[in-house]
Amino acid sequence: MTLELSKLTAQVQAMGQELAAREQAHANLVELARRWLAEYADQGERLRHPARAVRAAIPTGEPLDAAYPLPATPERFTVIAADGSQIQPDRHGAALYYVINVGSLVYRHGSGQAPEAYSQPTLGYTEADLYEGRLLVAGNLLDVRRDLAELTRLADLCAAEPAGPVVALVDGTLILWVLEDLPAEGRQKKVNDYLHQLDRIHHAGASVAAFISRPRHGDVARLLHLANVGGDPNRANQEPNPLEYLPDRAIFETLPPGARSALFVSPSPINHDYYRAEHVIHFCYVNAAAEGRDPVIARVELPAWAVEDAGRLALVHGAIVAQARITGDYPYVLARADELAYISSQERGAFDDMVGTALLRAGIRSALSPKAYYKTLTRQGRRKYR
Amino acid sequence: MSNGGLQVGRVLRASTRGFVIGCAVMQPDMPAFGSFVRAEGQKPRSTIYGLIYDVSVEDDPFVRQLISAELRAEDQEIVVRDHRENRQVPIEVSVLAVGCDDGMGIRHCLPAQPPVTLDWLYQCTDEEMRAFTARFDYFRLVLEAREVPADELLAASLRAAAAARPASEREAFLVEAGRELARLLAGDPVRLEGLLRRL
Repeated sequence: MTLELSKLTAQVQAMGQELAAREQAHANLVELARRWLAEYADQGERLRHPARAVRAAIPTGEPLDAAYPLPATPERFTVIAADGSQIQPDRHGAALYYVINVGSLVYRHGSGQAPEAYSQPTLGYTEADLYEGRLLVAGNLLDVRRDLAELTRLADLCAAEPAGPVVALVDGTLILWVLEDLPAEGRQKKVNDYLHQLDRIHHAGASVAAFISRPRHGDVARLLHLANVGGDPNRANQEPNPLEYLPDRAIFETLPPGARSALFVSPSPINHDYYRAEHVIHFCYVNAAAEGRDPVIARVELPAWAVEDAGRLALVHGAIVAQARITGDYPYVLARADELAYISSQERGAFDDMVGTALLRAGIRSALSPKAYYKTLTRQGRRKYR
Repeated sequence: MSNGGLQVGRVLRASTRGFVIGCAVMQPDMPAFGSFVRAEGQKPRSTIYGLIYDVSVEDDPFVRQLISAELRAEDQEIVVRDHRENRQVPIEVSVLAVGCDDGMGIRHCLPAQPPVTLDWLYQCTDEEMRAFTARFDYFRLVLEAREVPADELLAASLRAAAAARPASEREAFLVEAGRELARLLAGDPVRLEGLLRRL
């Protein structure tokens, strides 16, 4: 074992004491934030413009402290989830390639039918696959391709679904995070491809949402700080924000079971610089827990077209809570889509072997880089001779 | 030998004393404890015979979470069907090797080599069971096996072998098997009595 736990003992104990001390301060901050939420609840319109300047949650027409109860859902409705995982290109490996595996599940509430489960792996190995200009498709570039593959799968499934209420779900966010070192037109093209899939879901008559479990966002906390300094973005930027590290979810733990908070617009620059108006991403917080259980606050993101239609918004709200209550706190379809997408270390090893065999059959003698080779020797488990 | 029997699953791991099979789903007509099964040996046209001595469903944390979440009535049917029809439920079937046939006829002994990973395991047909239990030399292999519930397994295998015969032959078959057991367990009358009561 190379991680010598004995050397961490004192630090771990100090961490526990620090967290315990922070608990009381945290409780005081939550109380302050909730007081401000009630106090400035009707100032949404006044705060809308300055909120964007300080990257705070942008209020909509709903009072900031609103709580909307769990709406009724239709007797029959469908929830479709897709999730993806990937094998990154490894320059030390026997060959340069990447794999994206998208798992999806179609769950028809009220049908009694077995859900439809599916996994679709894609291998990228040509130069056209592997490079964008001079950049290797890895890291953020591969994440973007995986996100697009997930949404494309959802759009395909929504298009194939018979008429009826349908909600498409992804895990995470609907804001495509594209690194800024790409040229602006390159970023816009990637976002447009993503928005095209949102369009397809919209035109299929379905709704779409992203579910973020245990979110750490502080967009609403920043908005409350802005409200407390009179809505002046300069003061908000200059004066210390007592709620700086308070996650929004702590503020909304008072939501009744199944209820959602007010809607806000995400302040992400990508949302405003690259998303068309009809797709601008909104969010709210939802208490997904059942009656009598501790609150489970999740962040739910939806495009503008889904929140502007009261029926679609209610369906997404009801469907997410119905799904989370199957497992207790997290949408069942997302848990299963993740399971269907996940590539285990054994599967990675087996796929590496498959690639090695294919290369040999094609007459190519491939080898790991010296660095990768020695890692295979040293990471088998270190032994000590004393 | 033809592979006409029901496929039980594929070999996960094996030794000459036995092997473990992985199944995706437990079917109602899947062979149960005490069933005779066979796998192809590594030599062409060779067969390894065995008895199923354990069927286990591996632990699944996701299922455990669903149980603790107390599924609502409206979700139960869909979720249960998802788990049974779509998820790879990890069922393992353990087999004790009790004989082999390398083209020279059935012999009740451990095979020289185990089956290979991912080979199919088949349930024996009635004809194969009758042929295998025409002699009782495999009793000793079962009775001496340490890791299996030997008496239960032997009794279950004899009931299966009797059921594979015409009704008119079953009693005579079991009486003959009982005589062989009496010979093998002459020094342990308590164990013999317990085993005979299970037939």
